[in-house]
Amino acid sequence: MQPVYTYEYEIHLAILIVLYFILVQSFNLTFGLGRLFNLAHVASYAIGAYATALLSTSLGWGTYACVSSSMVSGALLAFLIGAISARLQHDYFAIGSMAFSAVVTAILVNWKSVTGGVLGVAGIPRPTVFGHELTENLEFLKFEGALCLIVMTFLWLLFRNRFARALRAQSEHEAAAQSLGCDPGAARLVAFVVASACAGLAGSLYAYYFNYIDPSSFSLTEMVFIMTVAVVGKPGSFWGACAATCFLVLLPEGLRQAEFSPDVLGPMRQLCYAVIMFVVVVINREKLFPIQRSV
Amino acid sequence: MTEVNDGTVQEGIPPQGRVTGTHTSNSYVVSVNGLEVSFGDAKILQGVTFGVTRGSTVGIIGPNGSGKTTLFNCLSGFVAPSAGSIYVGEKNVTSFSPNERARCGLGRVFQNFGIFREMTVLENLVIALQSKVPWGASSVSSLLPWGSAYRQVKEEAFSYLQEVKLTEKAQLKAGSLSGGQMRLLEIIRAVAFGATVLLLDEPTAGVSPRMKDTIAELITTLHSNGKTVLIIEHDVNFIQRFCERILVLNEGQVVLDDTPERVRENKALQEIYFGTESVPVRI
Repeated sequence: MQPVYTYEYEIHLAILIVLYFILVQSFNLTFGLGRLFNLAHVASYAIGAYATALLSTSLGWGTYACVSSSMVSGALLAFLIGAISARLQHDYFAIGSMAFSAVVTAILVNWKSVTGGVLGVAGIPRPTVFGHELTENLEFLKFEGALCLIVMTFLWLLFRNRFARALRAQSEHEAAAQSLGCDPGAARLVAFVVASACAGLAGSLYAYYFNYIDPSSFSLTEMVFIMTVAVVGKPGSFWGACAATCFLVLLPEGLRQAEFSPDVLGPMRQLCYAVIMFVVVVINREKLFPIQRSV
Repeated sequence: MTEVNDGTVQEGIPPQGRVTGTHTSNSYVVSVNGLEVSFGDAKILQGVTFGVTRGSTVGIIGPNGSGKTTLFNCLSGFVAPSAGSIYVGEKNVTSFSPNERARCGLGRVFQNFGIFREMTVLENLVIALQSKVPWGASSVSSLLPWGSAYRQVKEEAFSYLQEVKLTEKAQLKAGSLSGGQMRLLEIIRAVAFGATVLLLDEPTAGVSPRMKDTIAELITTLHSNGKTVLIIEHDVNFIQRFCERILVLNEGQVVLDDTPERVRENKALQEIYFGTESVPVRI
């Protein structure tokens, strides 16, 4: 009897793409619209993943509680960073947010009794929806897709309303935005909190899908990948970010077909991302990072 | 000769420009009292005091570094004064943030173009019209791109664009406009936001002579519509066309406050700009 092809590989790729849709699009809100070099996005992603992992394994919390907690913990982290670094702008904000990200990574690695240190957290159960555990990847994809649809619709509306305009305005000419009654600090903080809550959700889905997490999944390399996707997709472009996510998540899969040895494939993947980002930045340098003007 | 509040004596100051004590009465839409700004040891503004009546057009002139833009930055809330107070009507706005002051009716037009170049011309106006309504008072319809409130805002934006003849450029990036068109857009955007007092910082800088006339016409129209206009300008001939009063700043102090004709005739103005040893700077 001939084995039935189950499309597991394609489903796995679809799950990754949907996960990155949430992660990249939320980053695009702060980086693309607000021109905030938010390098703590991956920290919110990690916090979300660890919240789900720890609450589901240690305390046995259900899916809805874990997903909500991941979003809230991501948002809380952003609120904390935002409140402290509200006065920081541009490069200083990038440095400040990177410092917070480094602190989160240090906690994940060193607070072994809670996070498991470098060994991470294993045995994370699959989510249970309406009393049914989503053990099949296709079921998980549907669950993840539904959540992604809600988030993307929310973000799409956000990208098109007055909030996005205020965010874009403060990124280009903060003083002019203020002279039109906009509060740049509040706009940045709200964007940061919303983006981090979404990153927390992505982290939760990551933990549920892989059933195991460790700090290496939330390193600066991951942050660079997210930023590469946002840059390639044109910062601030909703559909551009979606297209770039599909392209860059699938790119290594194309390389896989070329049958390089794993020793070559890993560095080649990183090299590809670096070259693509470099080329895009060189071509669009003026549009990517327009000059921020002041009084 | 008129005695002023700091004990010094000023000559030829008309009643509307007299500096007489603190300015918090109803007659002034903007009152500035003893405003001082220092950056380190440098004193940029030194006890600036004046009042602006509702619906008037006041020109502010002075040599480079005299504190004109700092005065506007102080009025708009971008620079905190080390002493003194600012009133908009009856409200003391000295401790207000720039966005709070904007909501009090102070509209600012920047010297270095405050338009959002990456947005379309239409979006520049839409953001002003939408910002008029505080977040808490926004309806759900106004937050949806297809909502009726948003359609109304766009229609209103087009009506403002029509006033400055930029309707055809509505969908273009604001950065593609000429310098003069950018100025017109920035001024009309401040009006669309609901500014009752317009602070125009060198609106004709880098603008063609023909466009200067268009800007002058717009300012005259705004004046006839009851807007109060404070305008920083180097070209006295230009502001003489619509200003009934001119303040001359020098070294952070108001040294002249008079009608344009009398300011032009005043020898102190020549002293400030060109310098002579015989005429004292402060009169």
